[in-house]
Amino acid sequence: MTTDVQRLTVVTERQTAGVKTRKRLLSILAHVLLVGASILMLYPLLWMLSSSLRPENEIFTSTSLWPSAISLDSYFRGWNGLRLSFGTFFVNSFTIAVLAIIGNLATCSLAAFAFARLEFWGRGFWFAMMLATLMLPYQVTLIPQYVLFHNLGWVNTFLPLVVPKFLAADGFFIFLMVQFFRGIPKELDEAAMMDGCSPWRIYWKILLPLSTPVLATAAIFTFIWTWDDFFGPLIYLSDIRTYTVMLGLRTFVDSSAQSDWGGLFAMSILSLLPIFLFFLFFQRLLIEGIATTGMKR
Amino acid sequence: MSISIDRRQFLMGSTALLAAAAAGVGPAMSQETRMRLIFWGGQARADRTYGVTDLYTKANPGTTFDGEFLAFADYWPKLATQTAGGNSPDVIQMDYRYIVEYANRGAIAPLDEFVGNGLNLDDFDKDQLDGGKVGGKLYGISLGANSVAIVVNQTAFEEAGIEIPNRDFSYADLPALAEQWKSKNKRAGMALWSDYSGGEPGLDNWLRQRGKPLYTADGKAGFTADDITEWFQMWADLRAAGCLVSPDDQALDATDAIENTMITLGKAPMTYANSNQLIAFQAVNQDTLTMINYPRAKPGSGGGHYRKPSMFFSLGAGSKQLPEGAKFIDFFIRDPEAGKILGVERGIPCSKAQREAIAPTLDPQSQIALDYVSNLGDLLGPLPPSPPAAAGEVGVAFKTKSQEVAFGQQSPQDAGPAFFQQATEILARAAG
Amino acid sequence: MGRAVSPSFWSQLWSRNAGGYLFLLPWFLGFFGLTLGPMISSLYLSFTNFDLLTAPDWVGPANYVRIFTSDPKFSASMRVTLFFVVFSVPLKLAFALGVALLLNRGMKGLPLYRAVFYLPSLLGASVAIAVLWRQLFAGDGVVNDALAIFGIKGPAWISNPNYSLWTLVVLSIWQFGSPMIIFLAGLRQIPVDMYEAASLDGASKWRQFWKITLPLLTPVVFFNFIIQTIEAFKSFTPAFIISGGTGNPINSTLFYTLYLYQEAFSFFRMGYASALAWILLAIVGFFTAFSFLTSKYWVHYDD
Repeated sequence: MTTDVQRLTVVTERQTAGVKTRKRLLSILAHVLLVGASILMLYPLLWMLSSSLRPENEIFTSTSLWPSAISLDSYFRGWNGLRLSFGTFFVNSFTIAVLAIIGNLATCSLAAFAFARLEFWGRGFWFAMMLATLMLPYQVTLIPQYVLFHNLGWVNTFLPLVVPKFLAADGFFIFLMVQFFRGIPKELDEAAMMDGCSPWRIYWKILLPLSTPVLATAAIFTFIWTWDDFFGPLIYLSDIRTYTVMLGLRTFVDSSAQSDWGGLFAMSILSLLPIFLFFLFFQRLLIEGIATTGMKR
Repeated sequence: MSISIDRRQFLMGSTALLAAAAAGVGPAMSQETRMRLIFWGGQARADRTYGVTDLYTKANPGTTFDGEFLAFADYWPKLATQTAGGNSPDVIQMDYRYIVEYANRGAIAPLDEFVGNGLNLDDFDKDQLDGGKVGGKLYGISLGANSVAIVVNQTAFEEAGIEIPNRDFSYADLPALAEQWKSKNKRAGMALWSDYSGGEPGLDNWLRQRGKPLYTADGKAGFTADDITEWFQMWADLRAAGCLVSPDDQALDATDAIENTMITLGKAPMTYANSNQLIAFQAVNQDTLTMINYPRAKPGSGGGHYRKPSMFFSLGAGSKQLPEGAKFIDFFIRDPEAGKILGVERGIPCSKAQREAIAPTLDPQSQIALDYVSNLGDLLGPLPPSPPAAAGEVGVAFKTKSQEVAFGQQSPQDAGPAFFQQATEILARAAG
Repeated sequence: MGRAVSPSFWSQLWSRNAGGYLFLLPWFLGFFGLTLGPMISSLYLSFTNFDLLTAPDWVGPANYVRIFTSDPKFSASMRVTLFFVVFSVPLKLAFALGVALLLNRGMKGLPLYRAVFYLPSLLGASVAIAVLWRQLFAGDGVVNDALAIFGIKGPAWISNPNYSLWTLVVLSIWQFGSPMIIFLAGLRQIPVDMYEAASLDGASKWRQFWKITLPLLTPVVFFNFIIQTIEAFKSFTPAFIISGGTGNPINSTLFYTLYLYQEAFSFFRMGYASALAWILLAIVGFFTAFSFLTSKYWVHYDD
């Protein structure tokens, strides 16, 4: 401890040129590392991009990343490949994803608030039940659920994909929010309680404003996972007018027959754009969260 | 609470929107028949199929189609879920492997009452008709005849200056050909032959040439443990003689998916496949491809091939428009214009009139497929009884066992009896 | 006496519990309306011979008996899954935490780096991944080309039964974006003034990490650990797309849920698959309960 203090004093007292250079070197090293790792992360994208631009018979037979000829054919063919343009699928995916975000943020935060902050009989039991819903493989509840939604007349609409989000059916987000709510100092709401605040006001006025990072996280995940979800749309959507982007993508390819691989890769690239942009935009909220939390403390 | 009302209104709004969209696209006919059609396949098959449904709608105003097509792997869970949920489609594309499961469990409707009554099968190939029967009743109408075939990389053989094997070629000829290949082949990393020791169609073909079926009519194994040992031993010898791609390479091809086969990956100048797949293979290969028959088990043996129904159309047992469905199938398999749109993508048309109508319109590679299936000659044997319900599971076990041998975890002598026992157990479990 | 107490008892019961249950109302509606029914159905089906297409018949505990006494694929797939859990979860979390710390603050271009590092997770379970992974990890793949520069001759990672499972572990680690984001959000919640105070006290960065960052991050670490473990136990899609649903070579990638899926949808034994699913739930539930019990010794909440 003392040595630490001594070293720190030395450093703060004389910010020598040597230390500065070392810092700069470290930062350069970090950038080199990050750029190197980024290439590792970007490789699949580059490869998909090159596959979407090259002739179809080269996709599997050529190992080079560079296409022998470049054409945008796959994009035009893919966009209109499925009787309806991909525009419809983008609108559908977007509608479902936005509804899912609204539903998840509203209802999961309510449930999480109850689990994290309120005392009530059976809390531990219901929390365990909530976790248990995460543990059963969906493959075996699929058919009973389908029967349920079919009886409700919801099959072939967005309802089976959206309504559960408005009923906090995804325990992942409840659990996530619980963990973050519990990280917010309890003195804050205890003081408010003393002033006669209702639980609702504490939830709405204190907890939610302090939770931007986790709400942004939940929004990002909901959007991306709903966008990427394949199995739900596969089972519940039959009419091509209701198809999502992921469902459209999967229909390009059948490994036993003639497929449109170029179209698949071209549309895959396009389908990444919205989620990538969404991520770029929402991660700002992740960062803004810090200022608020920091000040309140 | 006001939130929840808004939400509900919003959701109802979106459903209404959806319904409006649906109503807007379909023609506003008073006596409208909407048929739900589901099939697996890629883009090319979808385009052809929708071409025919459009044609049918033009000929029969008032009948429209909600078509749905999926990849093979996604198709079966969805169809099973829909069927289990009491919501099965009207017209269902059915596979030779699954038709027994669906028929025995009453999930698809028998079609006998429509034959001659909406469904004209007068010029329909007899063997293809029989292929759609389960327990004596007709459950599926073949959409095309197929045979197993080897897709060959013609360019690679030409570069090496080696003749492509002819129809009398047998497994015994492979080692000599491999020696030739090794000295003349120009392609780096290309061995002569795929390792098809785990390919059930290959085993089936080989057993039939030895006078045994893969499965008997009562759903039992038609082979013995010794047959399997001999089969694995034959491949082990070929492996040792350097005829085959490495087990590592072969394992890349887990499911006979075209993009993972040895020919597409450039590991071998050939691959075991089906006759209707040549065009699909060509689409992802740069070299010129052609097609030959499976090797003979020994010189002069034949009868291993058969004309297999590539896939069927069946009608969902819960469908309320069975006669309409039968009428559509009739159009699909007999109408000459429909045939021209469909080509041989699903196999060779089984109605003689349709087959003759399309013959002049085929592109060269479709022509190769047509000629191949029409000229099998002494290679052709009778249609085997339809496979038992658990055939798929046995096939999976066979593939895994073949890998154990190829990777040296088990000898052919042990693998033969071990697989035989596995197969017997699987078949017995499914039967009772 | 009892009568005199009961009104206040009921009103106390109401005032103590009503808030919690009101906030949980949407969840209760979903749980009882949408989730519980299908779960109980699958529990019931696990005692039947349900084959998807015909009505189920009650067979008692026969499915469970078979699983535990004469199903070699059960133990094989459980071994594969345990291996995957044991290796992928810690490695993925360590990687996610490391990168999150690196990308937390104090460098230029961080938003872009974060987005780039999240990119593999955006791809999800796209079909393209299967093709890509083969290009990378085949015998003549990109990875071996890179190893060849150092004179190392690598095996056919993806199709050799000795290594194929590792390629799926690598895939799981490569898609470390979600825990990374959660770690980042957790780091954001740690008040800056705590670090400032620590700096003034002269604590080194390393010490700050151990004394401030990690303890305050434990709720998030705990969350990621629980969720990643549950997800790893249930892991299905990567093996499904890469092995084409077979779990080969030689069942080396036959994950538990992949086996379950085969039983349910390829072999028409949904009853049996349901029994497999409930056994998995018991195992994962036991593990989670154990983690919660030990959590009081290492997870620090602010409340």
